[in-house]
Amino acid sequence: MASKCIGLLVLFQLLALNVVSQISAFPTPTASADDKTVYNRQLTEERPVQEQIAEADSVKAAVQSAESKRPTVSKDTESEQDLDDLTVLKSLADGQKSKEVTEVPLKKEEQYVPDESDSTKSRRLAEDYDSTKNGMDYGKYQDDPESFRQVDGTPLTAEDIVQKIANKIYEEDDRGVFDRIVSKLLKLGLITDSQADTLEYQVAEALQDLITKNAKNNEIEDIESNGQETRGEQDNQESDANADTWEPPRRRYNEDEEDVDEDDDEIEDEVDRDAEEDRGDTADNTWDKDTEEGNEVSPEDGLQDLQYFPNFYRLLKSLDSDQDTQERETLITIMKTLIDFVKMMVKYGTITPEEGVSYLENLDAMIAMQTKNKLGKSLGPPDFTGPNGKNLDEDDNTKAEAAKMQKEYENLKDSTKEEQPSTETNQPGKSETYLEAIRKNIEWLKKHSKEEGKDDYDLSKLKDFMDQQVDSYIEKGIIAKDEGDTIKRIYSSL
Amino acid sequence: MKQFLSVVLFGAAAVALVSAAGTEGGEISFEYHRYEELRKALVSVWLQCPTITRIYTIGESFEGRELLVLEMTDNPGTHEPGEPEFKYIANMHGNEAVGRELLIYLAQYLCNQYQQGNETIIDLIHSTRIHLMPSMNPDGFEKAASQPGEIKDWFVGRSNAQGVDLNRNFPDLDRIIYINEREGGANNHLLQNMKKAVDENTKLAPETKAVIHWIMDIPFVLSANLHGGDVVANYPYDETRTGSTHEYSASPDDVTFKSLAKSYSIYNPVMSDPQRPPCRKNDDDSSFKDGITNGGAWYSVPGGMQDFNYLSSNCFEITLELSCDKFPSEDTLKNYWEQNRNSLVNYIEQVHRGVKGFVRDLQGNGISNATISVEGIDHDLTTAKDGDYWRLLAPGNYKVAASAPGYLTVIKKVAIPYSPATRVDFELESLMERKEEEREELMDWWKMMSETLNF
Repeated sequence: MASKCIGLLVLFQLLALNVVSQISAFPTPTASADDKTVYNRQLTEERPVQEQIAEADSVKAAVQSAESKRPTVSKDTESEQDLDDLTVLKSLADGQKSKEVTEVPLKKEEQYVPDESDSTKSRRLAEDYDSTKNGMDYGKYQDDPESFRQVDGTPLTAEDIVQKIANKIYEEDDRGVFDRIVSKLLKLGLITDSQADTLEYQVAEALQDLITKNAKNNEIEDIESNGQETRGEQDNQESDANADTWEPPRRRYNEDEEDVDEDDDEIEDEVDRDAEEDRGDTADNTWDKDTEEGNEVSPEDGLQDLQYFPNFYRLLKSLDSDQDTQERETLITIMKTLIDFVKMMVKYGTITPEEGVSYLENLDAMIAMQTKNKLGKSLGPPDFTGPNGKNLDEDDNTKAEAAKMQKEYENLKDSTKEEQPSTETNQPGKSETYLEAIRKNIEWLKKHSKEEGKDDYDLSKLKDFMDQQVDSYIEKGIIAKDEGDTIKRIYSSL
Repeated sequence: MKQFLSVVLFGAAAVALVSAAGTEGGEISFEYHRYEELRKALVSVWLQCPTITRIYTIGESFEGRELLVLEMTDNPGTHEPGEPEFKYIANMHGNEAVGRELLIYLAQYLCNQYQQGNETIIDLIHSTRIHLMPSMNPDGFEKAASQPGEIKDWFVGRSNAQGVDLNRNFPDLDRIIYINEREGGANNHLLQNMKKAVDENTKLAPETKAVIHWIMDIPFVLSANLHGGDVVANYPYDETRTGSTHEYSASPDDVTFKSLAKSYSIYNPVMSDPQRPPCRKNDDDSSFKDGITNGGAWYSVPGGMQDFNYLSSNCFEITLELSCDKFPSEDTLKNYWEQNRNSLVNYIEQVHRGVKGFVRDLQGNGISNATISVEGIDHDLTTAKDGDYWRLLAPGNYKVAASAPGYLTVIKKVAIPYSPATRVDFELESLMERKEEEREELMDWWKMMSETLNF
């Protein structure tokens, strides 16, 4: 009996134990927040799939409708939709080229320079870093002339693209535009080499059209002397022989550059020359528009050069009397010497053509100023070396005067300097300093590679490196965007 | 009329010549540079010498001006293992302007000399990584420079835009080292919990924070901090031990520091002139000897950047006072350059002194953050990322020890001349390797025994 009782007891205990352990296994319905979310989540997962899809679609539609209300601002949806349209259009429009228009990374490419051990390079401000990231996207939507969309987001046809590139080259008078775009496309694998060649032909053609069209317009505007007409004729020719003085330096200069270029494609040469000629044309026209009587000098005087200096011409005209002829001749010689000198500097790359042009323009303005302030001081003769020694020696009377003049002008120069406020932020000053610094670097590189016995230093690699560095400096706020552009421009003109 | 016309034209021709010729030989133009001009000047140096220079910024001042640094070295942008890092910082007091200008001139000078084939400069640039920060307090400088007239106030522009004196703004590690000296504790790298101490410290000015990060990022070896208002080379410690206003407060590297400070002052004729009268009649320059002074002996400075460098990192820094007048007139700048040019270059060369080398394990991998200690000098250094170290020492015989957690310490005796630096490398055996060795030895012995005894 006792054993039975004990057995029962044991049994009962076992049972109790089981029950107890089972009870502890039951989920206790506590009202904790976690459980609730779990509870809800399960519900969500169990909802029918269709319902969830419908919900997502409605959200998307709402977003899209909101975005379509601001068509100019956000081109997200447009671009996504247009992508497919574009590729279809492309393949339809032009069988030769299939320019894909996904994302064209613009001015900002991925930084080549890897982050090194110390974080000085990676250290950027938070905002800078973020805006860098977003910058990639924003670039798509800005009206970048190099993007493959029009302003309102509609996709461009192939012809449009060719036209756009040609326009850009024409405007900037820089063949580098084309190279840049093509190299980007090639790098991205968006076009093949043969497609690039085709593109070149087409761009060259478009450019040629542009030039002739504009030349015709300019010819119609012309009312002046033979010089202009001569030039007009020359535009249509493609010969090198050209009596006109402004063309040769630039052409020579660019020819030198072309020697350095690897590409010897003839068509590219043509594009180049056409661009130059046209530039000469437009520059001439600007001057023409500025002056009233600039071109009254007949070419027989051999003064084609000098017709771009209206003030100088006024001066000359005032010397029409016989006794002043010698003086007149002297002045003309001096002026021509100056122009030759500037041309030489341009040719050897000391200054860019634009700078030469602006320098001479400034010169003319200076002459205007001086005709106003008449001075008659005579000073003692200090040492003097003219820009072209030969001319001085030939004219004895000018030598003595020259000494006085130089002193004179230096005084004037100094006073002009003081008159200017010390605005060190003015662009010409800055770009001069930068130009000077770059020039020193190039000189040193030339000398250095000669000493080392290497071949000529790799200018294009240096250019690329500098471009990268400039971009990264702009990003970090070390140099301003316009300064960066100046530097890049200087390098690209080397 | 005749003359005049010719004047104009020949003058114009002269202009053409002048502008074409440019500045011959890259002369330095001695004038004050405001922020934009400073930036332009540094960019110009970079454009002239892009293969040996790089501009970077360590952050922004309170008013948003970049704290620009120009580094000059043969491979800018990266720490080359074994190449010591050097820095000059100037103008932390915005109205102490001479240092700022000197560093700009120095940058131009080094670039020009490099291109002109100056062997000394070329070697220096190839063997060192030189960082130049012309202005740590550009906001203060603008305030000081904006004052009209020649005479600038003694205080206007000294502090940053928040009114903080940057040279009292650094965490005061002197207090800690003095406690550790008495009670025991670390003798180097005292800035514990750096993130918390720096980033969350609201009392630190942005300029101070930027410099602290900079010091932590780059394994600087030697540095100098340029000031004005007196003429002397000042070395640690700046804060007195007892808290009194004047008291010689020697650091463990007192001998080394005296040697470094003297290396600057001897080439500066004004600084090292024993007959030089004090800058102001009532100045107490009794602590100046041979153009150098201990900081605490001159006057106590708590929270200064100089001591912070020494106590938080491996960098030895001294303070250079370069002009009696804090913001002298522009036409004196050329003189200051002449006085300081040789000193500035020679001081950079001091980074190549003492003992240097690599601490590696037996496989040849560098051991970073290993400890380099010198017997008799209670101040240890640590190795940089690649296991490289530079221990500046005055000439003498030393025992140098390299140690790292998990490795067996190695001690080497070395005799050190004035210069150049003596190369001493360490190969450390890890404890595991030693245990392994011992085990193998034991096995060999056992094998031998068993063979001999045939069991």
